Amino acid sequence: MRLIHLIASEDPSQTHHWLLPETAEIIYGGISSLIIFAAIYKFGLPAAKKALNARTERIQKELDGAANALSTATQEASSIRAAIGDISGERNRLMAEADQQAAKMLTEGRARITAEVAELEARGDAEIAASRSRSSDELRGEISLLASAAAQRAVSASLNASAQQELIENFINSVGAAR
Amino acid sequence: MSESRIEGYARALVEIAEAEGNLAVVENELFRLARALEQSETLRSTLTDESIPAARRQAVVEALIGGSATNTTTQLVGLVIGAGRGRDLPAIVDKVVKRASSAQNKDLAEVRTAVALTPEQESRLAAALEKATGKKVNLKVVVDPSVLGGVVATVGDSVIDGSVRTRLDQVKSRL
Repeated sequence: MRLIHLIASEDPSQTHHWLLPETAEIIYGGISSLIIFAAIYKFGLPAAKKALNARTERIQKELDGAANALSTATQEASSIRAAIGDISGERNRLMAEADQQAAKMLTEGRARITAEVAELEARGDAEIAASRSRSSDELRGEISLLASAAAQRAVSASLNASAQQELIENFINSVGAAR
Repeated sequence: MSESRIEGYARALVEIAEAEGNLAVVENELFRLARALEQSETLRSTLTDESIPAARRQAVVEALIGGSATNTTTQLVGLVIGAGRGRDLPAIVDKVVKRASSAQNKDLAEVRTAVALTPEQESRLAAALEKATGKKVNLKVVVDPSVLGGVVATVGDSVIDGSVRTRLDQVKSRL
């Protein structure tokens, strides 16, 4: 009110104060400012609001995306941890299986080697026995050969004419007496 | 040589000997010759050698048995040798002997001894074998030193073995 009073009381003929604007200038300027503020309010504010909303939405989206990424990362971390756990379990299982197989192979190998050793021993014993028997048979054969040769020589030497005749007579008599 | 050809030669020899009227003597001489042929590798190879001319082989036969055998036997052996059938002479003679035995209703009794039998021993042995087998026998004696001692008599499928060789073989197998 004081300002309006000041404007209304101003004398146009008087020289304007060096610091204060002209009254009309203030009026026009004030009206222009109001128009500009109204225009800004009318047109700029919705656009700003819209831009803010869009930004908010984008940020929200980014936040949602980050949350999703975090969730996915958490899930992946969880599955990696689970996988690590599985790998560890698998490794333990494989190690246990390998130990089992090694133990089995060792047992089987020992059994096989024992059986082979036993078989070799048995074969060796059999060969020794066969060799002994063969040697014995050969010796027996040699003895029988010598004995039969000696017997033949002794018999041949004793088969003189009278012995021959006696054998023939014995044969004739035995055949004649057979029936 | 095929069986039929051997049979044919045997039949021819028997008929010739019968025609000559001395079958018994001829078959006896043929038998002795066949056994001699079996036991002598040299004689066998000489009489069966195709590279020696037939006339030469026949001459060998004549020189070998001409003095001790009948003319019929010598000629018949010469015939077989000359025909190149010397290798089959023992088989032919065996058939001749069997045919001759059959003609007399007798079984062939082949006797192997280490020493020769006297005629008296032969007749007693024949009688003993007839008594043992119940059949008439045509006794043929072969002197075979491998018998060593005693007698081996074969009548048909029966073998009566009283030889020292067999006894020795039994002892040997028992040893």
